[in-house]
Amino acid sequence: MLENISDINTDQLLSVTQQVDLEGYRFVTASCVDNNNGTLDLIYHYDLDGILKQFRLQVTHETVVPSISRIFYAALLVENEIKELFNVNITGIVIDYGGHLLLSKGAPESPMAYPNQITIERR
Amino acid sequence: MPKSVIPFGPQHPVLPEPLQLKLVLQDEKVVEAIPAIGYVHRGLEKLTETKDIQQNIFVVERICGICSFMHALAYCQGIEELMNVQVPDRARYLRVVWGELHRTHSHLLWLGLLADSFGFESLFMQAWRCRERVMDLMEMTAGSRVIISTNTIGGTRRDIDRETLGHIISEVDIIQAELKEFEQVFMYDYTVQHRLRGVGVLTKEDAYKLGAVGPVGRASGLAQDMRSSLRYAAYNELDIEPIVETEGDSYARTMVRIRELHQSADLLHQVYDKIPDGEIAVPVKGFPTGEVISRVEQPRGEVLYYLKANGTKNLERVRVRTPTFANIPPLMHMLPGSLLSDVPVLILCIDPCISCTER
Amino acid sequence: MFDMLGTIFKNLFTGPATRMYPTTPRIPMAGARGQLAGIDAELCIYCGLCERKCPSNCIKVDKATKTWTLDPYKCVICNVCVEVCPKKCMTMDEQYRAPVYKKENQVQQQLPKPAEDVVICNTPRIADGE
Repeated sequence: MLENISDINTDQLLSVTQQVDLEGYRFVTASCVDNNNGTLDLIYHYDLDGILKQFRLQVTHETVVPSISRIFYAALLVENEIKELFNVNITGIVIDYGGHLLLSKGAPESPMAYPNQITIERR
Repeated sequence: MPKSVIPFGPQHPVLPEPLQLKLVLQDEKVVEAIPAIGYVHRGLEKLTETKDIQQNIFVVERICGICSFMHALAYCQGIEELMNVQVPDRARYLRVVWGELHRTHSHLLWLGLLADSFGFESLFMQAWRCRERVMDLMEMTAGSRVIISTNTIGGTRRDIDRETLGHIISEVDIIQAELKEFEQVFMYDYTVQHRLRGVGVLTKEDAYKLGAVGPVGRASGLAQDMRSSLRYAAYNELDIEPIVETEGDSYARTMVRIRELHQSADLLHQVYDKIPDGEIAVPVKGFPTGEVISRVEQPRGEVLYYLKANGTKNLERVRVRTPTFANIPPLMHMLPGSLLSDVPVLILCIDPCISCTER
Repeated sequence: MFDMLGTIFKNLFTGPATRMYPTTPRIPMAGARGQLAGIDAELCIYCGLCERKCPSNCIKVDKATKTWTLDPYKCVICNVCVEVCPKKCMTMDEQYRAPVYKKENQVQQQLPKPAEDVVICNTPRIADGE
């Protein structure tokens, strides 16, 4: 299991991020995991002097998640990627690529979310 | 004055990999820069969900060609922590040997590309001639020049005997002697100083706030190096300190990488004295469960692996955050205010590895 | 400003740093991984371990017809199949594969063993002591 992880919900996200910024943490990244039952886990990782601290947020495809890129500018690229690949509704990102950061116009929609629209052929 | 928008890239002679920057210019000075990536997206994170744990090492190694050993190392360390596997001591030292050889060849490649970005082609060729010795060493010890595939879960696949290790040390001494000849040009030459000093200054507070990692962060005064904070592999028995400069301009980033080359040579000498005998791998059976995070210092910075397993032979999620992904926001902050002719030098200063960024 | 003059003079008077390929070929080092040469068809027992362990799914093993097929253009030359084979019948060649005009799979089939000549003795057996 990951150590130093705490569960929060979408209302607490911005206040917890402000708190962590005042304590001097550095933003490392955010990860998204699809639980294959309609919910997704968003995990935010922060670092101070080599020790990691994580926050887990459980959402569905319809939940509105506020963006933390106004507090941590470095989060804008990873939030665009999560919005595009997993179809999570993140609003208010500082620069929004509109779903075309990594995928082009002819690519399948949200390829990493369940149910997967991609089959890997074994010939 | 009206502003003009110039697309820099995705194909440009100075870029090693395709990256597009839309530069908003006013009178030769850059006002704003917006990156556009996605030209080499291969969907490797999705592919790892369909292969089993040993086959994933080969997928993950091919995310990047220059730092490929460290990707496999971070993945193997994560799985070993999940399955409680104790790696033998000799394997941990061998991983340090190959890791430091990779760091040497990556920094020599970067020095050549930097010289090419301001037009100094003969210095570019000198650096790459020196790098050929490292590629020959990798072929001799691991069988292949670029993607060496020597990591496995529980240790390494090949051994290096004492005589070959002595040959590696003598070649590294020759590389250090050749490096001392042409590093003088980077450090003291009149035209090179004009291109590098005072260009793209990143202060210490900005570097921390924007999440800069690797030599970009260390050149601005942040003393963070995963080898000395986390002490993975055999680094807990070796003597290592992060190399820090304070000015934060392109000259400081060049100096950090040149001094890291000397530090790698010194670390290899320490390994030659201290490496123990023993076996190189332990057999591993069963499937992992749980989630883990493992971090390793690549030549470009800190890479983070988040692995989630549920007890079957396939992993549920492999998430990779590479250092160039974290260094793009500092680049967007450094570019406004610089001249158009400094843009290639600034892009190369963060050492962009776009195939790592997009996976 | 003249830091590179010494290197320039040395470069003028020593030979080229590159090899005159293709007149001088490059000899790979011992133990290098060049291409998968194939299997020794007589020793193979068609267990399928190499097919299961291959990371790029380039080997197909058919036990019924005793055929082993390799797609050499998918192979990443990782050497796992050579290491896991229980009969050690696969070999890794050091020279990288030569360019060709058309991509083809490499198929190796074990021939059925030839019938042995059996000597049939028609004379009656003479028992001892008779």
